[in-house]
Amino acid sequence: MRYRKLKTLVRGFVLATYFLCGVMAWAQTPSQPTTSSQAIPAPSMSAPLAVKEASPPSPEEMAKGDPSGTLTGTVNDIPVSNLKTGLTLADALNQVGQNKVAINFVWTLITGFLVMFMQAGFAAVETGLCRAKNANHTIMMNFMVYGFGLFAYWVCGFALQMGGAAGVASLGGAAPLSGEFALHFAGKTWGLWGTHGFFLTQGGTYDVAVMVLFLFEMVFMDTAATIVTGGCAERWKFAAFAVSSVFLAAITYPLFANWAWGGGWLSQLGTNFGLGNGYADFAGSGVVHAVGGLSALACAMILGPRIGKYNRDGSSNAIPGHDITMVLIGCFILAFGWFGFNPGSTLGASGGGNLRIATIAVDTMLAGATGSFGAIFYMWIRYGKPDASMSGNGLLAGLVAITAPSGFVNTIGAAIIGLIAGILVCLSVEFIDRVAHIDDPVGAISVHGTCGLWGVLSVGLFADGTGMGSVKGLFYGNPGQLVAQMIGVATLLGFVFTLSFTFNLLIDYFVGQRVSPQAELEGLDIPEMGALGYPEFVLKMQGPGVTARAV
Amino acid sequence: MKFIGLLLAVIGWLLPVASLTWTSSLAARFIFALIGIGLCLTGILGFLNRAYVKHAIWKK
Repeated sequence: MRYRKLKTLVRGFVLATYFLCGVMAWAQTPSQPTTSSQAIPAPSMSAPLAVKEASPPSPEEMAKGDPSGTLTGTVNDIPVSNLKTGLTLADALNQVGQNKVAINFVWTLITGFLVMFMQAGFAAVETGLCRAKNANHTIMMNFMVYGFGLFAYWVCGFALQMGGAAGVASLGGAAPLSGEFALHFAGKTWGLWGTHGFFLTQGGTYDVAVMVLFLFEMVFMDTAATIVTGGCAERWKFAAFAVSSVFLAAITYPLFANWAWGGGWLSQLGTNFGLGNGYADFAGSGVVHAVGGLSALACAMILGPRIGKYNRDGSSNAIPGHDITMVLIGCFILAFGWFGFNPGSTLGASGGGNLRIATIAVDTMLAGATGSFGAIFYMWIRYGKPDASMSGNGLLAGLVAITAPSGFVNTIGAAIIGLIAGILVCLSVEFIDRVAHIDDPVGAISVHGTCGLWGVLSVGLFADGTGMGSVKGLFYGNPGQLVAQMIGVATLLGFVFTLSFTFNLLIDYFVGQRVSPQAELEGLDIPEMGALGYPEFVLKMQGPGVTARAV
Repeated sequence: MKFIGLLLAVIGWLLPVASLTWTSSLAARFIFALIGIGLCLTGILGFLNRAYVKHAIWKK
């Protein structure tokens, strides 16, 4: 009896426990969704939107004016595809997409305009570093390289460079640029040059995105072309300069730029051979500056030094420029333009990590500053005075060196890269001048050639993996990137220099590169240009044994 | 001299590029790239430029 009572008691306890657990489980079961967002079905893309909820200003309100700027730019400004239906979600989303591309168009165009203005900086630097008797000739080379280069680049340069570069997402795709001539070798594809975009019409390239890309890439090419005029100043025939510039803009620059930026084989070293992200040159230390600097080296070798630059024993004489104020103002103009050069190379400010432009701009500033520090301290310690022209060249050297890595490095990396470039440019100028006996009146070979190559290598060392394309260098654990950059340097030295040298040798044979000794002593303004840069100056003829004066 | 200089520069370019298909070793590719750059510089500054300096205007 007792046992039966106990059994009933236990059974009751178990049932009560089950019941209690059941109640608790029921209480914890998530309730059925009742939120309004899930109760209402998603709006159709073509269904009209409730525009009234956005409280757009009435026509009467707008007619009173908008001094505070709070009424302008509302839902009323979104174009509708169908007036009967009114604004739909599809309309709103299309407008969002167009706004993104529009921001990127405007960004790329304005930064391109800044880069174009760098031509003025180059003109001032190069003319200031030359003698007054060559002022007209030097600035005319800087002036006309814009026209010669632009024409050649429009005819074929752009097509060879970017004809196969489709997929520029920030500019809406640039889909017509879809033709790349490539070789298939060793089981890999080696892109060599583009085939769409001749005269900006062939291959369907009469396209707004293509036009934006053309403008931006053209001013980059022109920067490379104008570097050469500095290295060859004060002795280059104007006709030879014109032909040489056209060739650089039409063939030399576009080929290397295609390999680096247009989808060519250098950019594919990562995909094809596992070398990091392939050759990475964010804004062109190699593509623009090293190409210009090495072409200047080729031309300067062929031209030989100016009369009076070297003595019979091989010692060199300094030939100071005529206007250091013009030189340093030119450097500032260039530094300003560099904010177009580097941040603009994102080809956009909206979407796709393009807000990196802030870091790129600061990297650019820093490297320029540390470059001028490096140069001024080197000159101060070595020669006892802070040299003005080398300070300017140090600024430019830092800017040149940071051009390739600006999209990939942090500010500490940028400062170190600039500082090294500032010292490197001084060492290079001394080597080129005293050891190699190559006459470079403005230091173009050292600033753009040497520091351009250093900039290319520095990507393989300092890229930290947080920037554009997540490029990572040796110091951040990817030695393959450094090898890719070294192959880029070998290509610049072995291909670009050789091509440029060969073509300029042909110009020397058929046209003649160098002016006559008499013209050089007199100054190139009258013999080459027909007018003096400074007609009211009394200019001394320079050279061994020459004492006459010309007005 | 001039021709040898240009030839060395071209070889200095082609060597590291060709080495990409010969080996997949990163160290080997690094060494080939280094040799390539060295050959280019030797060709340009050691041979080509020396040939021009030999007959430079200031030596006459």
